Amino acid sequence: MHVLICDDSGFARKQMMRCLPADWPIEISYASNGKEGLDVIRAGKGELVFLDLNMPEMDGYEVLSEIQTHDLPAMSIVVSGDVQTEAYSRVKKLGALDFIQKPVSVDEIIRILKEYGIHDAATGEHRDDEMAVPFEEGYQELANIALGRAVKLLAQYLDVFVEMSIPHAYQLALGELNMALSHIQVDDRVSAVSQGFMGGGMGGEALLMFNDSNLESIASLLHYDKANTEDTETELMMDIANIMIGACLSGLSEQIDVRLSQGHPQILDRHIFVGDILKDGGAIPALTIEMGCSIKSHNIDIELLLMFTNDSIEVLNKKLNYLVS
Amino acid sequence: MAEQDHFSLEDFWMQDITQSLDVGIVVLDLDFKIVLWNSFMENHHGAGSEHVLGSEIFDMFDDLPTDWFKQKVRGVLQFKGRAFTTWEQRPYLFRMNHYRPFTSVAEFMYQNITIIPLRDISGNFSHVGIIVYDVTDVALQKIKLQETKNELGVLAKTDDLTGLYNRGYWDHRLRQEFDRYSRTRQTPTLIMLDIDHFKKVNDTYGHDAGDEVIKMLANLLVCQLRATDVIGRLGGEEFGVILIDTTVEPAEILANRLRQTIEDTTIYAGGNEIKITSSFGVTELNGQFDDYKQWFKTVDLALYDSKNANRNTVTVRRLTR
Repeated sequence: MHVLICDDSGFARKQMMRCLPADWPIEISYASNGKEGLDVIRAGKGELVFLDLNMPEMDGYEVLSEIQTHDLPAMSIVVSGDVQTEAYSRVKKLGALDFIQKPVSVDEIIRILKEYGIHDAATGEHRDDEMAVPFEEGYQELANIALGRAVKLLAQYLDVFVEMSIPHAYQLALGELNMALSHIQVDDRVSAVSQGFMGGGMGGEALLMFNDSNLESIASLLHYDKANTEDTETELMMDIANIMIGACLSGLSEQIDVRLSQGHPQILDRHIFVGDILKDGGAIPALTIEMGCSIKSHNIDIELLLMFTNDSIEVLNKKLNYLVS
Repeated sequence: MAEQDHFSLEDFWMQDITQSLDVGIVVLDLDFKIVLWNSFMENHHGAGSEHVLGSEIFDMFDDLPTDWFKQKVRGVLQFKGRAFTTWEQRPYLFRMNHYRPFTSVAEFMYQNITIIPLRDISGNFSHVGIIVYDVTDVALQKIKLQETKNELGVLAKTDDLTGLYNRGYWDHRLRQEFDRYSRTRQTPTLIMLDIDHFKKVNDTYGHDAGDEVIKMLANLLVCQLRATDVIGRLGGEEFGVILIDTTVEPAEILANRLRQTIEDTTIYAGGNEIKITSSFGVTELNGQFDDYKQWFKTVDLALYDSKNANRNTVTVRRLTR
């Protein structure tokens, strides 16, 4: 059987491949975006597709719709960090066989292969591989899954569909931080909440940023009183910070199996320029993971940065190695 | 058996330490009835545990915002994660006294609050824990710092004598207005004025009287101009006004009216009746100016023209290369 793993993250492709039972005689192809994936399918190399949803070039929804429209010879199983109920129903409508929540596990794959009569595995052994993956892709995948959890809760809280962007990991100098922001312009005025986290030899700060115009949109989405005072803004920022940062950190800590303590969130100066946020700070983050999400229907963009200390890198790398070996 | 004892001793210590922690701990069931109330809460609130257990939390604190609090607790249970609130959101959740009634100005304890979901033995979320941190000192310091910052911000912008903008800030606004024009193309006009023979006022009536004259002129400008106009004391007896969204024609009329009013006004200072006149330059901004300095230089030349034309006059100048 020809199996295609279609995911923009090399780390996720490796994780997925290792979860395919060792005794299953298959030929595996890989694609890092939807376009490449469709080419593989059209070449007859994707009878069964493990398909990610959030990818550059062409995302998973579009791939499913292409398969459906042109009746391509492919069965799809969606493997996604975006676990909103609406994402699930969307892909089901587009003909996906099933929906697996990231991170994948051997047991889950064995169960699904059996359920659809594809393969009855006799062993739960990992498939071996020689795939080398840069750590950046690992950080990004960890963040992707953590963000997926956060976005699901945010969607519930606001009762809308929230689009998540693809996380990016950066190791950069302070002045370059602005470049890492995809949802906020450098000269925008923002309000931000910072919350520290620490545990298992690693630590850092989560920084949640709102464009000032966004706060008004969110307030109206929640039917807050129009008398838009500073109090309402503070309340909103804290509510969303509690949900997003909390879910993101617990998503992260579950994946790497580290218990993290959280400090009390701090509201930083209000209505400040992005560039000024870190200028009075002490240390420079050794690793910054930028993630964002947006609510297109209401023109809302939220930016979340996870910034890690120098010490964290070694811990993270060790955990990532463990996850794929 | 010995191991058993060991564990229970640790539990016992833990309980002792929890009671001595300088942090408030309250546990509520799903009906908001109090299940646990530590000694911090006893001591700061005043009611002992024995009177409090089983009561609804809202009965203990009259001004606890019921709907708000219920919504927060529901969120914690729904999202199965903790919620944090800061004193900036609400100075306090539970109104209680703080430790320094005499050496601090706070009337109550400022609080940061953490609400955490708690499970029962079968793993279902059945209670919430509330942790109350006393952050009075930090909060007061931050409030004080913000007040000081605001004061400094005002001080750094204004001229001591007149309360008008000082030269530095006025220059900054001039530059801003120049930049704004290149985007919006809404014409501003610049007026510069100077008291004629001001040295004579100082020499004749003394410096205190001179200061009075300057203050009077500043007042007159503030009264005669719009709130949106940017008025600055540029130094000595020289003033600048940026008229936002105003072309040269109305600006010239305005300058002449100001000139006339100053001439007609009698200033009473130190028992003297002082009369003064003043000279004006007026320059409209247009696309020909390279930068704000050129604009300023042109209006300065216009003022110079007025001085040369026997003073007490208004001169309009355009850019000449």
